[in-house]
Amino acid sequence: MLSNRTKQHKKYAAGTKRRFLLPAVFLLLSFLLMILPLEGFVSSVKAVLSYIFIPQVRLAHGAAKYAQNVNETVRELLDAHRENRELKQQIEMTQLLASQAEAILDENGRLTEILRLNPARRWQGVWAKVAYREPSQWNSVIIDKGSAAGIRERSAVLSLEKGMEGLAGVVTEVTENTSKVLLIRDEDFMAAVSLERGGEEGLLTGGGRRPVRLKYIPLLADVRKGDKVYTSSASSIFPAGILVGSVSGVRNDESFQTALTVEVDPQVRASAVKELFVITDGRK
Amino acid sequence: MRAFIKLIFLFVLATVCHWCLVTVCSVWGLSVNIMLAFSAAFCTVLKPAFGYPAAFLCGLFLDFFGTKLFGNNAFTFTVAACIVYALAERFDFDGIFPQIFAVFGLTFLVGALNSLLLVWFISASMWPGFWSLLGGSALGAVLAPAVFWTVRRVLGKGAVCRQA
Repeated sequence: MLSNRTKQHKKYAAGTKRRFLLPAVFLLLSFLLMILPLEGFVSSVKAVLSYIFIPQVRLAHGAAKYAQNVNETVRELLDAHRENRELKQQIEMTQLLASQAEAILDENGRLTEILRLNPARRWQGVWAKVAYREPSQWNSVIIDKGSAAGIRERSAVLSLEKGMEGLAGVVTEVTENTSKVLLIRDEDFMAAVSLERGGEEGLLTGGGRRPVRLKYIPLLADVRKGDKVYTSSASSIFPAGILVGSVSGVRNDESFQTALTVEVDPQVRASAVKELFVITDGRK
Repeated sequence: MRAFIKLIFLFVLATVCHWCLVTVCSVWGLSVNIMLAFSAAFCTVLKPAFGYPAAFLCGLFLDFFGTKLFGNNAFTFTVAACIVYALAERFDFDGIFPQIFAVFGLTFLVGALNSLLLVWFISASMWPGFWSLLGGSALGAVLAPAVFWTVRRVLGKGAVCRQA
């Protein structure tokens, strides 16, 4: 029993000795190296051994240089990203300006046409622009002039399309600075009109989604496709002689009809209405 | 033999990483010592019979490029190895936090000890500056888990390792 314990103690002591011996040796060795003079032999050995590590030094410096370049490359990439974003914004702005310029050019063309065929030469009135168009009611528009500009309810409204002026609608509501215009296509629109060739008079009514119709034309009247339709002097709202449209067809399919119903293609389409001339005080 | 080749490979990798980081970090004035992190990682993996010489050689390698005193790094690295072996008995170095804290503390200690040795032996002040040393220690600590992982991955559980 005693001998076992002695053996264990000896083993532990040997392990502890070994445990401390190794670091002590290296510490002593390094201490000796520190007290050695750097000149002469030590310096030569240092120089020789340093040469061995030259490839590693070069590799490390190459890697460091690359790492520094990576830093610059990342910065350049970030700069390029920022420039790219700015350029994209500039492109978007340019596209916006281009589209605006296109719209202005288009408007300029229309205004030039208006100047050439100015209805203001024949009638007293004011020019107005479409300010608002209700999506659900395509057959009426709000214009940017109202009673302050002399517009009254039931004033006739003209517009231009394809280089010709034509009846666009009638003013139905007026505020100080805006007015509502009922366009020809609206079902509530009515106007006394006459055919240019035969002089027959009838009542023009809007059809909504259906074509505009001219009613109460005598059965025996000679109506042909393409005949021009003008406002009649019998109308109390519209001055006579305003082009309304042209005949696009005659309906002969109704039994026991007492009058002809003529389909009219308006001179000014609802979608083309942009600038409007509102007649305020009849013919000049 | 294979384990020694692996050790040499890790030593070369450590030297390249050390110089590379020293060159890059010198721009920001940081005294980084990644060689010490490798040395500590060797000590956590290798048996003392191989760990102490590895740490000593790592320090000696840095001494080859020193101009003022020869052997100071070998001394401080051996001291660091003693500390790592002592800590390894109490803490599990498989976790990230013991690695980080050990490398942080050892880097700071080795930097301070080196400065003291220089003052003692050649009466020259080589104090890198508190913030420089602190920043270098922090950077070394951040990189420590990667270093430990690499060393463990390469050396594995060979004959020279503690967990053979």
